[in-house]
Amino acid sequence: MTETERVILRRRSVRFYTKKQVPESMVKRVIEAGRFAPSAGNSQPWKFVVVRDEEIIRDLTTTVAKITGLFRDLLDYRRPGFFWLRPIANLFIRLKPNDLHPIPFSILDLVSDGRLGLYHGAPTVILIFKDGRGVSDPDLDCGIAGQNMVLAAHSMGLGTCWVGFTRMAFQYTRKWRKFFGIRYPYKFATSIVIGFPQVQADGIVERQTHATDWYEDGKKHTIY
Amino acid sequence: MNAIGFLEKMRIPRYDKPSHVTRGTVTADPGKCTGCGICVKVCPGDALVVEDKKMKMKPPGRLDCIFCGDCMAICPTDAITMISPPKFSCYYKTIDQGEPKPPRVLDGWKE
Repeated sequence: MTETERVILRRRSVRFYTKKQVPESMVKRVIEAGRFAPSAGNSQPWKFVVVRDEEIIRDLTTTVAKITGLFRDLLDYRRPGFFWLRPIANLFIRLKPNDLHPIPFSILDLVSDGRLGLYHGAPTVILIFKDGRGVSDPDLDCGIAGQNMVLAAHSMGLGTCWVGFTRMAFQYTRKWRKFFGIRYPYKFATSIVIGFPQVQADGIVERQTHATDWYEDGKKHTIY
Repeated sequence: MNAIGFLEKMRIPRYDKPSHVTRGTVTADPGKCTGCGICVKVCPGDALVVEDKKMKMKPPGRLDCIFCGDCMAICPTDAITMISPPKFSCYYKTIDQGEPKPPRVLDGWKE
């Protein structure tokens, strides 16, 4: 196993951070890793925003919790007496199948109740904005840059977690777009939290093997 | 390759019905689990609970465990085993995902 493979396979989404701030030099090194990510036509369609201010992180969490709460109230038909919401919820799910996937649907509950801190108490949040005019698919390029940063951070012993829910604050409120000065051509892509894990959180787990089709010598077979 | 049929595609699963969604499951070896509760703290789905100093999954009824493995990785006594990932019928049905396995670079690609 190479050192790179070790970092890739052991990387876990860390949700248990110490309050200790990440040294500035380490965050800068993490951003450097993002800067050297591949992108379509080398267009580098990203903008990174580092937030290390406790108050801003807290306010952002409150905003997102409010919006997810609103979504929950509009769509959660599992509450007693709200069965009539089901056709409406199904229509919304059909229209936004990715945003309303059943998996984050249950996490929606936790975030809006404040039972799951959106940023898990991490002291540094990196927001990634895409340049909408980038070549081909700027979202994908932002994802590649983000994963570069995540792997770099884990190789230094830091913990990270992708937080896509931050999108809510930028999609549905003008306040946060204005606060961070986000306007055309920039749009929110994703966010990453960085911090020191309270205990060793990285480690090897099981993952589904996924069918992989394999074409060779004029034949096809599927491996798992 | 398995695919998703037309009728399955047209139906949105009901999140409150066990026949439509099966949540992910993990278990803890009662001999190894010390009940420290660190897994409960890291679980993003709020699926776990410590009862009688042993880790348990909360009663079914919610789609909570996302099978991320954070609990297994963080467990100081290696007590947690991952059993099965969440599955959906109808619209969000998972297609040919195979069985969960640990990384196979350590001892080569077997089978």
